[in-house]
Amino acid sequence: MSPAAQQAQADIAGRLQQEIQRAVQRSIKGVEYIGSAAPAMGVTPKDVLVTRGTMSLYHYRPLVDEIYRVPVLVVMATTNRGYILDLAPGQSFIEFLLKRGFDVYMLDWTAPRPDEKHLRIDDYVLDFIPDCIRRVQQDSGEPDVSIVGYCFGGVLSLLYASIFSQGPLKNLVCFTTPIDFREMKLFHNFSDRRYFNVDQLVDSVGNVPPELILSSFEMLRPVSRTVGQIQLWENIWNDEFVKSYRMFDRWSTDTLPLAGEYFRQITKDLMWGNKLYERTMTVGGHRADFHSIKVPLLHAVAEHDHIVPYGASRHLIPNVASTDKEEVVLKGGHISLVAGANAAKRLWPKLDSWLSERSV
Amino acid sequence: MPNQSNDPAELWRTFLAEAEKNYNNLANQAMASPEFSRLMNQAGGASFGAQKMLGEMMERYLGSMNLPSRAQLADMGERLQAIEAQLMEIKAMLVASLGDAAAAGATGVAPRPKPPRTKRPPSAAAGAAGGNGP
Repeated sequence: MSPAAQQAQADIAGRLQQEIQRAVQRSIKGVEYIGSAAPAMGVTPKDVLVTRGTMSLYHYRPLVDEIYRVPVLVVMATTNRGYILDLAPGQSFIEFLLKRGFDVYMLDWTAPRPDEKHLRIDDYVLDFIPDCIRRVQQDSGEPDVSIVGYCFGGVLSLLYASIFSQGPLKNLVCFTTPIDFREMKLFHNFSDRRYFNVDQLVDSVGNVPPELILSSFEMLRPVSRTVGQIQLWENIWNDEFVKSYRMFDRWSTDTLPLAGEYFRQITKDLMWGNKLYERTMTVGGHRADFHSIKVPLLHAVAEHDHIVPYGASRHLIPNVASTDKEEVVLKGGHISLVAGANAAKRLWPKLDSWLSERSV
Repeated sequence: MPNQSNDPAELWRTFLAEAEKNYNNLANQAMASPEFSRLMNQAGGASFGAQKMLGEMMERYLGSMNLPSRAQLADMGERLQAIEAQLMEIKAMLVASLGDAAAAGATGVAPRPKPPRTKRPPSAAAGAAGGNGP
């Protein structure tokens, strides 16, 4: 036998041995997996400044001795919980910002109560965000505030910035924020006005149940959950993989219900009317034209975003009135853009360098 | 190590990734049709209608058994949440009006020292360091 053939045989034997070891580990760890608790998330020390119905405002405790002057308010998407931005220590976006010297607040959401079914976009843009801004100003003692909005939190932040163009917003950062809702093609088809009776749905359920929200997200990639479970079984010997899988799986299934009127308004004004893109959006009688935004603006979008494709988000930067503006297209998807190893390598340092220059 | 082309585990992973992509694309194409939207919304509408009817029936049944319904328990939870929120508001007002030290005595929570807001971005710090050089 030639040396090359001998080498190949040894390689295959080594690989076989490794696979047998992994198979044994799978059996042991598989049992452990079923019995063990999910990893703790959202554990960066924080104070709850206020909870008011569906709205919660946190202040994260500084981790360094000197911080930037301008506080940062993170506005979370209304469909999911904010702990995606505060995964386990060492993998937390919030912890990263704190260690880089930012003073961080978060506007997070809990499930709207049945009596909050009447909440509209107006309440989020004209009440919740301004109330949080006021409290951040009060708590920090600073007149200026920067906002970081993720996904639909970005849409709400844009509407806020459009209406309150005289301040006190200092900088605006949007992560994967849709403008042209027609480009979210599958969501657009699911809510086709010829077949989707949003009035009947909202009138019968009050708040839109999380199962409906989750299933519409999962339908965008119908096979991925099954494939994810196969990958979990394959990698169950790998503690780091399992930990990461559990964190993301728990978060993605921990979907929030949406206030009925808010959902009705999103469907009619944004999904059907495409009013943000068409510049005809009004909130509580105020014109909300994102073209009027003048503050420094950074928009981070993901190359492979299946929820907010680039076609839906690309209109933001070219159209705002800001002179100091930048769009960054980064590798990754809708979630891996902001959380996980990909985000820690790409988005977080980019945000740090952009925001630090504008936070003094 | 065996090269990627003859490693069965690697081949399996590649197959799985490709299959996931292809099936997702195929399903997305099917879901993009108006017919899919019509069928999906028909089924969804019927299901929510049935759920609503069942919920109303259950509420009547629980009422006749003198038991609280889920909605009533949720209402009670909401009241507790509202009371909690008001307590937090009162605590925040106390801290604001009495000042940190006095509020610490009243609430039993020691005020945390706030770090100075004097941090400069790395570029400014580097510039300052450069300026101080020879």
